[in-house]
Amino acid sequence: MGRLRYFVSDAADEWRHSPGVNVVATATLASALFVAGLMTLVLSNVHARIVQVRSDAPVDVFLEDGVSEAARADLERRLAAIPGVGEVRHVGKDEALRRFRESFGGVADLVTDLEANPLPASLEVMLAPRTDGAEVASRIRRDLEREDGVEEIRYDQAWLDRVDALLSLARVGGAGVALLVFAAVAFVMASVLRLAVYARRDEIEIMLLVGATPAFVRGPFLVAGLFHGLVASVVSVALVEVARRAALGWGSSHPAAILGLVAGRPLDGGLVAVVVGTGLAVGLVGAFLAVRGIRA
Amino acid sequence: MIRLVGLTKTYPEGSYALRDVHLEVGRGEFVFVTGSSGAGKTTLLRLLLRQETPTRGQIFLDGQDLAALPRSRVSAHRRSIGVVFQDFKLIRRKHALDNVAYVLNVQGVSRAEQRRRAYLALKGVGLHHRLGLTPAALSAGEQQRVAIARAVVTEPALLLADEPTGNLDPDLAVEIMRLFREINARGTTVLVATHDRDLVRRMQRRTVVLEHGQLVDAGVSS
Repeated sequence: MGRLRYFVSDAADEWRHSPGVNVVATATLASALFVAGLMTLVLSNVHARIVQVRSDAPVDVFLEDGVSEAARADLERRLAAIPGVGEVRHVGKDEALRRFRESFGGVADLVTDLEANPLPASLEVMLAPRTDGAEVASRIRRDLEREDGVEEIRYDQAWLDRVDALLSLARVGGAGVALLVFAAVAFVMASVLRLAVYARRDEIEIMLLVGATPAFVRGPFLVAGLFHGLVASVVSVALVEVARRAALGWGSSHPAAILGLVAGRPLDGGLVAVVVGTGLAVGLVGAFLAVRGIRA
Repeated sequence: MIRLVGLTKTYPEGSYALRDVHLEVGRGEFVFVTGSSGAGKTTLLRLLLRQETPTRGQIFLDGQDLAALPRSRVSAHRRSIGVVFQDFKLIRRKHALDNVAYVLNVQGVSRAEQRRRAYLALKGVGLHHRLGLTPAALSAGEQQRVAIARAVVTEPALLLADEPTGNLDPDLAVEIMRLFREINARGTTVLVATHDRDLVRRMQRRTVVLEHGQLVDAGVSS
């Protein structure tokens, strides 16, 4: 504990004595994290939009007329238990008719002219966001198609395949870009911190000569790296939000619908934690790369 | 305490820094190592501090062969030795008290104990009234006294000094030597490398002479 306190106080002392190199290191990291934060913002918005698009195309389980309440409740329970199923909504015959009229106002009279409502009740199944939609839909069909009370199961296989492919692309692309950005930022950070180590080479030599272990000498640099990462990531998250609002403000007076698609929603708590965590990790890795050459 | 057996150090281009040196220094001795520039004095101290390893021969400190010392134990070896340099080697951003306390900090001594012992060490060299100043605010003589306080604050059994008076005027040099004599009187073995023959003559201690890396006079143990 005493050692950690020394590392923190020595890192703070070094900041006071060499503010220039420390400000450069933090600003460099903040700039890189700002770019990474913007990419995260765009990817998360695009991902959310694709998920929303998929939820607009649910799997419909049409029920036979006269199916009992108990049988319907049992089907709902079984649907909800299938992995990848997000929400199950019951759409009664009246609700189906209302929706038909809303969608096909011009030909709605065809239905009202009949004595009875011909539209079936159904269970509308929304798929969970992080699942293979086509696979889940196919399992629903496999498990329930022959069950009593089920008249037909319908979904757009091609549409689900396309959406799933887009979601996979967004996830894999996001992970790949994140990995590249992490490596690039860690490299840049290590280069900047190596300058800080070089500026203190005389001091480091003295410390080693009077018996400090390399780990003891490296400690304050690693703490400083963490501090650079923390400050830079908080600053970058704030800048991303400022940029997002500025873009939306500009977009409100210009025809730029794409801004709503890529920046409509702010970074949520989880993604803010990811950016801050990345900042801390990059600061630590960069500092480690910079000081790993210190040896007795 | 120190035993050199056929100690040889050559540099990559083939020149000898030390050549087949045999020497013994007993516990509690005060020994000057003299010789002109390039004689091998600094190389000898660097070998004792394990900044370098011998090309041939052996160098023992309290029976431990320093050439065989694993890298992981080099720091602990250095902590067991006090060392004073010609250019003082003080940490510029730390004030005098923290420079002295640093070696105790490295050893894991509590902060309060570090400050107490660093204060006493500075008092021992007459600088306790300057403990809050950084090296830049101290004269050369004062900086060297801070370095001496740092070297002795852990009460090491061996004190090495490489041209400790090289940057000081003659009066200050005598003052520094007086401090070394006091430290030696408390039982610490002192090895001082210097080319200042006048100073060596005035001190009247065992003197080892090196020339071109070879030992030409091992001196007489007192």
